[in-house]
Amino acid sequence: MRVLLLAALLVELMATSGPAQTYAPSTPLPRTTSVPALRAFANAREVEERFRIGLDAETRGDWKGAVAEFDRIVVLNPPEPKGSTAQYDLALAYANLQRNDDAARALRAAIARDPEFLAAMANLIAVDLARGDLPEARRIADRYVTLAPDSARALYSRGIVALQAGDATTAREDFGKLLHANPSYAVAHYDLALAEERLGRFDAAQRELNTALALAPAYARARFALGVVLLRQGEHAAARSAFARATADAAGDPALKNIAAAMRDSIKVP
Amino acid sequence: MIEAVSRTLVPRVFAVALLAGILFCGRFALAGAASLQEMLDGALVPSSAPALLGPITSAGRIGWECKPERAAAAKDAQHSELPANPSTP
Repeated sequence: MRVLLLAALLVELMATSGPAQTYAPSTPLPRTTSVPALRAFANAREVEERFRIGLDAETRGDWKGAVAEFDRIVVLNPPEPKGSTAQYDLALAYANLQRNDDAARALRAAIARDPEFLAAMANLIAVDLARGDLPEARRIADRYVTLAPDSARALYSRGIVALQAGDATTAREDFGKLLHANPSYAVAHYDLALAEERLGRFDAAQRELNTALALAPAYARARFALGVVLLRQGEHAAARSAFARATADAAGDPALKNIAAAMRDSIKVP
Repeated sequence: MIEAVSRTLVPRVFAVALLAGILFCGRFALAGAASLQEMLDGALVPSSAPALLGPITSAGRIGWECKPERAAAAKDAQHSELPANPSTP
């Protein structure tokens, strides 16, 4: 009987006892008296802290505060990816302060440190368009499309740059490719229509604008463009009707509303 | 004699005035046509540039967590932070 009780007790003990608790090894502390090594530790810590403070500042919209933090990180010259990221975040703060030349310089530095930094290329194109630097915007857009040929943003960005620079053929190719993957993107149909119109392909332009308007019926700018294309094709009554509808739909865009009304009134329909 | 001169002069003056009027109106008509053409040429403006992509943490652009880099590479227009379709609320 005692033997049975002892056996039962042993079984119970074995069942309830878990594996021995293990402890993670303590985080190794930097133990050095080397001045360069200590300086590197201090710099790394400062970089991390300034990133945290700078990003908080950007979240609050405190762009001047963000510039101070990221500028200091750039001076500390941390290794990748922190170096290019600091330049990228610095550029974002500059752009929001309307200091677009400084923003462009910081983004160029980011791309020089990380040649495949797509977000930096995307932002540099946007900044260059705001600065009116179409040659650099085009160079960066070409590189962006080469690195990410299926990227919707790369195709859109280069298409817009090409349209602004008068290269309707490239714009037509890029917006066509963008629409192949995103057929319901009305904005790209509108820009493709502009490229077609500039190439004198009015039927294709009209088709794209009708598609854009089917996707977004209150798209006043597309409606206005349709009026222009119809006018070029000699369809005055239809053009006048399109301008009238654009005037009504462009309530939030006074400039477009005025020009649409002027176009509507300039067409005399018997 | 005076009557003969005045008879030939009046139609001439009238003709010159008429011609001047036609030229004057024609000039405005041409100017109007030119301005209409200029209006048409300048009216079709491309869509706006996309908005800037947002900040990136100290971890850098590599990795699934970096939204701006993902947006820059996305094939889908909806995830690329491009201008939205105008009817989209």
